[in-house]
Amino acid sequence: MAAIMKVSPFKWIFIGASAFLSLLIFVFPLFAAATYSFRGEAGKGRSLANYRWLLEQDGFYPNLFASLKLAAIAGILTLLLMVPTMVFLNLKAQRFKPLIDFLCILPLIIPVVSLAIGAQVAMPEVIQNSEYELVFFFVIIALPYTYRAIDTSLQTVQLKTLVEASRSLGASWFATILRVIVPAIRSGILGALFLAFALGIGEYTITSLLHWETFPTWTVVAAQQNILGAIAISVFSFIGAIALLTLISLLSRRGTKRESLESENEGALS
Amino acid sequence: MTGITRRVSSTLELSGVSRFFGQVRALDGLDLKVNPGELVALLGPSGCGKTTALRIVAGLEHASAGNLTVNGVRYNETPAHQRDMGMVFQSYSLFPNLDVTENIEYGLRARKIPARDRSKRVSEMLALVELGSKAKAFPHQLSGGQQQRVALARALAIEPNVLLLDEPLSALDAQVRSQIREEIRRIQIELGITTLFVTHDQEEAMSIADRVGVMNHGKLEQIDTPIELYTNPSSPFVASFVGLANRIPGEVTAAGGVRILNQSISLSRAVSTFAPGTKITAIIRPETLILTSENDPDATRGLIALKSFLGPLTKLGIAVEGSPLIHINISSSDVKHLEIGQHISFKVAASEVMAEHA
Repeated sequence: MAAIMKVSPFKWIFIGASAFLSLLIFVFPLFAAATYSFRGEAGKGRSLANYRWLLEQDGFYPNLFASLKLAAIAGILTLLLMVPTMVFLNLKAQRFKPLIDFLCILPLIIPVVSLAIGAQVAMPEVIQNSEYELVFFFVIIALPYTYRAIDTSLQTVQLKTLVEASRSLGASWFATILRVIVPAIRSGILGALFLAFALGIGEYTITSLLHWETFPTWTVVAAQQNILGAIAISVFSFIGAIALLTLISLLSRRGTKRESLESENEGALS
Repeated sequence: MTGITRRVSSTLELSGVSRFFGQVRALDGLDLKVNPGELVALLGPSGCGKTTALRIVAGLEHASAGNLTVNGVRYNETPAHQRDMGMVFQSYSLFPNLDVTENIEYGLRARKIPARDRSKRVSEMLALVELGSKAKAFPHQLSGGQQQRVALARALAIEPNVLLLDEPLSALDAQVRSQIREEIRRIQIELGITTLFVTHDQEEAMSIADRVGVMNHGKLEQIDTPIELYTNPSSPFVASFVGLANRIPGEVTAAGGVRILNQSISLSRAVSTFAPGTKITAIIRPETLILTSENDPDATRGLIALKSFLGPLTKLGIAVEGSPLIHINISSSDVKHLEIGQHISFKVAASEVMAEHA
C-alpha cells in the first residue's frame, strides 16, 4: 500500500492515459462489436438473431470445418517438420543457424503474391489440384513465428546433456525426442502449434489468390449480405481465438501444476 | 548393504585411441586398461583430453583411430544407446519433466523391462543412494547433492558394463562434494563396478581411485596408484601437477646430480640426463624439506615470511635469496616457537629430486 502511495502524480497520469488508450483501442471496439452483434431484427432490441443467421448459412459449417482441418494439419506438420530439424540444428549444425534464421524470415519479406504463385508452381500437380496445398502455405507463412517459438524454448534447456544422458541410458533418437525433448520444450511447442493453427485458420490472401474457399474467404462473401451478421462473425472468431489461447495456456501449465502438487505432497524441500 | 546382487565386472580397454578435431589432437594414442571392479581416475588440466576419452568410451564421440573394447569386444562402431555404459554428468542432467522414480527407471523403460522389475530396481537404487523419501520429487525440488545421487542411481539402474563419471562433483559445494565422493566410492566398491572417473581435482582423484592416470596434451603421462604417483612421478609434469611442489632453481653438477640451495642431490632416474652446468628447476615436495641445525653443512638459511596453520600441519613460507618463496609443511606441534620474521635453517631430506630445464 505504501508503495502505491509513493508513485508520483506524473506516473499516475501516465498509467491512467495508457489505460484509457487501451480501452479506446482494444476494449471499446470489441464491446461495440459485441453489442451490435446482439441487435435484433432491423437493428431493434436484443437477440441472438445474427448468430442464428450465421449458423444457418449453408457455407458456415463446411468452411469452418475445412479451415479447422487445414489449420490443424498445418500445426501438426509444422511440429513434425520443425522439432526434429530444430533439435538437429541446435545439436549438430550450429554453424548453419544464422542461415536458417535468415531463411525463416523470408516469408515476411517476400510479397504474398510472389510466394503464392512461386511456391505453387514448385509443388507436384497432385497437390496443386488439392485444397491441401494450402497446408504447405500455412506452414510457410507461420515459419518466422514457429521457428522462434521453438528455438527460444530450446535455448532454455540443456539440450546437449539431456540428449546425451538419454542416449547413454539406451534410448533411441525417437524416444529421446518424444520423452525428453518434447516435454522439456512443451511451452514452445504449444506456442508454435497455436501460432501455426491461428495463422492457418485466419489466412485469407493466399487462399483467395489460389481460388480456394475456407472460413475467412467465405466470411467476406457472407458479410456482404448482412452487416450485423458480419459483426457476429467477427465476435465469433474473436471468442474462438480467445478460447484456443486459453486452452493452449492451460495445457502448457498442466505439467507445472502437476509438479507443484507433487511438491506440496512432498512437504518441506531440502 | 543393499540387496543388490553384483554382476560380473567388465574390463575396459583403449588401445592407441586418438581423436582429432581438424588439426587439433585432442587425444593422442591413448592406451588404458581398466580392470574389472577397478576405479580409474583420469586427471589433468583443462584441454588435456580426459573428457574426450570418456566421451569416446560412452559413444558420444567417435575415435579417429585406435580400438575400444569391453571384455574383448570391439565397441568403436556401437552407438551410444547400445553400449550399456552408465554415465553421470557434471551438470546432473536429470530430465526436468520426470520425477526421481521416472528418472531412475528411464533406462529400464528404454530396455523394455517389465513394470514390476522396474519398480523393484528403482526401490533398490533409491535405497542405495539413500533417497527413498524423495521418490516422487522433481529435480528442481532437490539439492545439488541429491540430484547427483539420483543421476548416479539412474546410471546404475541399467546395470551398466562400465560406470563413467564426468566431473560429477564439480558443481557441488565443498562439504557436499566430499560426502558424495565417499558415497560414490562406497557404492562402486559395493557393486564392484568397473568405473572411469574424469576430474581436474587431484584431491578427488587421489582419494577415491584405485589408480590415477595423469593426462597432458592428449597423452597419458603416467598411470599408477595414488601413492606411487605422488612419491615416484615419472615426469616433471606429473610431479608438479600432482600434489604441492616447490620449484627451486639449481644447476647440474659434474657428477650428474643437481646443486640446489646448499646441497648436492641425485637426479631422479625418471628424467633424462642433463649435461653438467645445465640450469634446471628442481621440483621438491614441501614435506621433504625439514628444519635442521644451522651447523648442518647441508643447511640453507632463510627468513620465515609466511606461517599458515592447517590443523595437524603448519605451512611455513621461507624467503631465500635467489629462489621463489619455499614452502615447508611441518607438524604444528614443532613450530609453536617459530614466528614470522625469524631466521631458520632447513634442508632437503629427499635422496633424489625431479627436475626440468629452467
